[in-house]
Amino acid sequence: MVRDPYSRASSSTGRPLRHATMNESFLWLYEIPSRNLAMLFIALFVGFYWAGTILVRPFLMPFVRTTRGANDIVGYVLSCFCVFYGLLLGLIAVTAYQNVSEASSNVTREAAALSALYEDVSRYPEPYGQNLRWLLRDYTRYVIKYAWPLQQRGIVPEEGTIRAEAFHDRLLDFQPGTPSEEILHAEALRQLNHFLECRRMRLFSVKSGLPASMWYVMLLGAVLNMAICWLFDMKFVTQLVLGGILAAYLGTMMYLIVDMNQPFRGDVSISSEVFEVLYRRMSEE
Amino acid sequence: MPKPVPKKSLPVPTDMPLVSRRTALSHGMAATLAAARALSPALFVGCSLGIPPRARTVPVGLLHSQTGTMAISETSLRDMELFAFEQINAAGGLLGHKLEARAPDPRSRTELFEKRSRRLLDDGAVAVFGCWTSSSRKAVLSLFEERDKLLFYPVQYEGNESSPNVVYGGSVPNQQVLPAIDWLMSEAGGAKRRIYLLGSDYIYPRTVNFVARKYLAARDLMPAGVGYVPLGQQDFGDTVKAIVASGADCVLSTVNGDSNVGLFAALAREHVDPGKLPVVSTSIAEDELRNLLPEQVKGHLAVSCYFQSLPTDANRRWVADFQREFGFDRVTGDPLEPDWCLVHLWKAAVEKAGSFETAAVRQAFADGLTFAGPGGPVTLDPKTQHCTKYFRVGRIRDDRQFDIVHQSEGPIDPDPYPQIAFPGWKCDWTEGGITRGPEVSINGDI
Repeated sequence: MVRDPYSRASSSTGRPLRHATMNESFLWLYEIPSRNLAMLFIALFVGFYWAGTILVRPFLMPFVRTTRGANDIVGYVLSCFCVFYGLLLGLIAVTAYQNVSEASSNVTREAAALSALYEDVSRYPEPYGQNLRWLLRDYTRYVIKYAWPLQQRGIVPEEGTIRAEAFHDRLLDFQPGTPSEEILHAEALRQLNHFLECRRMRLFSVKSGLPASMWYVMLLGAVLNMAICWLFDMKFVTQLVLGGILAAYLGTMMYLIVDMNQPFRGDVSISSEVFEVLYRRMSEE
Repeated sequence: MPKPVPKKSLPVPTDMPLVSRRTALSHGMAATLAAARALSPALFVGCSLGIPPRARTVPVGLLHSQTGTMAISETSLRDMELFAFEQINAAGGLLGHKLEARAPDPRSRTELFEKRSRRLLDDGAVAVFGCWTSSSRKAVLSLFEERDKLLFYPVQYEGNESSPNVVYGGSVPNQQVLPAIDWLMSEAGGAKRRIYLLGSDYIYPRTVNFVARKYLAARDLMPAGVGYVPLGQQDFGDTVKAIVASGADCVLSTVNGDSNVGLFAALAREHVDPGKLPVVSTSIAEDELRNLLPEQVKGHLAVSCYFQSLPTDANRRWVADFQREFGFDRVTGDPLEPDWCLVHLWKAAVEKAGSFETAAVRQAFADGLTFAGPGGPVTLDPKTQHCTKYFRVGRIRDDRQFDIVHQSEGPIDPDPYPQIAFPGWKCDWTEGGITRGPEVSINGDI
């Protein structure tokens, strides 16, 4: 019998498994509505830049004011830095998007496999057919009503495994009596394996995200980016405005990556809609 | 006193910035504060950054086999409990808490019930709804007593037990099996006299058959035969031959789980006519009928406190709500209805107590609680912590439903220790608990 190793490995109390991704103490960020989160990031970055302009810049100025053409040098360093940092941010944003996209594809594939399996077992003789359909409906309902809210909190749902096993057990109880039933049964078992595989992929992606080291590099890059800007010798207000614009955009990029980092969390996340559509169809019959 | 010179009139040095750092800082600070003040209602709800408040939750355990031989029956209990919790949560929860169901799978293995319930209690479950077989209930009983937590047990059982830590929602023999014998022996029931007692081999059937034998003996009757089969057995060929050979005119069946599939298949193979030799089952309800072929079970009987076909408005609404939520082909039945009533009796007790604590909830029971269930009013007897029950007989139809052929005039009070079988034993948790009588061996002579 195929068991689901992922759920067995998870905590018995339903607590989330530990991964070396984003520090769990920051996961509350995903509970903030998207618009507020974006404004929070912009405010944090701009605030940091302005605070540095006021508090740190006076100490940095003596280093550059004594150098002729200091702004040109700082500008050259900044542009070199921005190329590398921009590349990093861009690639990470693409990775985060691909992560969400892949998880979304897995969810769609799981729902499609579930739908195909439902069609297969609908052709089983009674009472097997009705029981198997009922078990699949039960699984789908669980995914929508219980698994999804847990995933949105970053918790790997465990009890779906029990429902999948119950279905698997019941399917194996069926003994085909005719060649056509044998073909149907073989196809249902093949479809079941595909479904279980997709399900496992979904569970793995619940806690997927960028590794902690990437976050450190990104944040260090952002701080250095702003620190280089503090080295420009220009009017104070101009410094605030121009640097503030750069900081605001850095904050926006960071918000985008954070929001896409966890496929099932935050406003930019995968919904259970495909399962809901499937469940409605299952219930309509 | 010299008149202060307005700042405007001060000469501005041409080599200085138009806006000084001090001015920019003060203006910037003022602008920031103003912006924060203006945006704060939209941005921040208190200090929550717009994070919606998370409801307080309280874990509640559901201890039902979802795989293995008992899954066929127990899974529906889990669903009914989830349905009840979802409705309670949708209506605002219980004492300001959302009920968070935890439903591990004991896999129809008695030894796993204790492990799973220990895990539930370790996780802080304030109450546990669960078990089906008596062996599973007895396996967890001492744990609940040790931790002083409440187990809500929704299934009919054999009686001869009472615990302050268990609330029994199902029928006991004086509410199901004994009225069934009375009815079978009546004209309406066919005036049966040769009753064959058939059961799965575990506590419930053995105790129920002991009580039935005592009851028959008090009427100068003997069973036509008594037989037991292992739980989960499918081959009933020899058993059915033995029943036919015994000359029985009806079978009182306490066969449980998916063994019923094998039993009715064997009866059909032997061409047993339900009109002449009906099987009266205590453990078959609409849910079990899903797995039985209608042509094999049609005409046989079941005794229960509730049938889905009960023609009342409250029942029709309840069934429709359940089917709307879980699917057009799902069915209710006994023990789903007692299960529903148990959840609501617990809810009423918690609300009355204002607490999830066991002692407070138990105290709320002592004052008496009644719930208008789909099958009629149910009262929790504080003396025994069992519920009053209707007695109903149903004949199986083609469509896997029952025609109700008999119903008691009103709810029957519970008696977990029928004196005919357990003389001297009684139970009153409002005054001292269990009064013990002489030891009784259920396997002994009648």
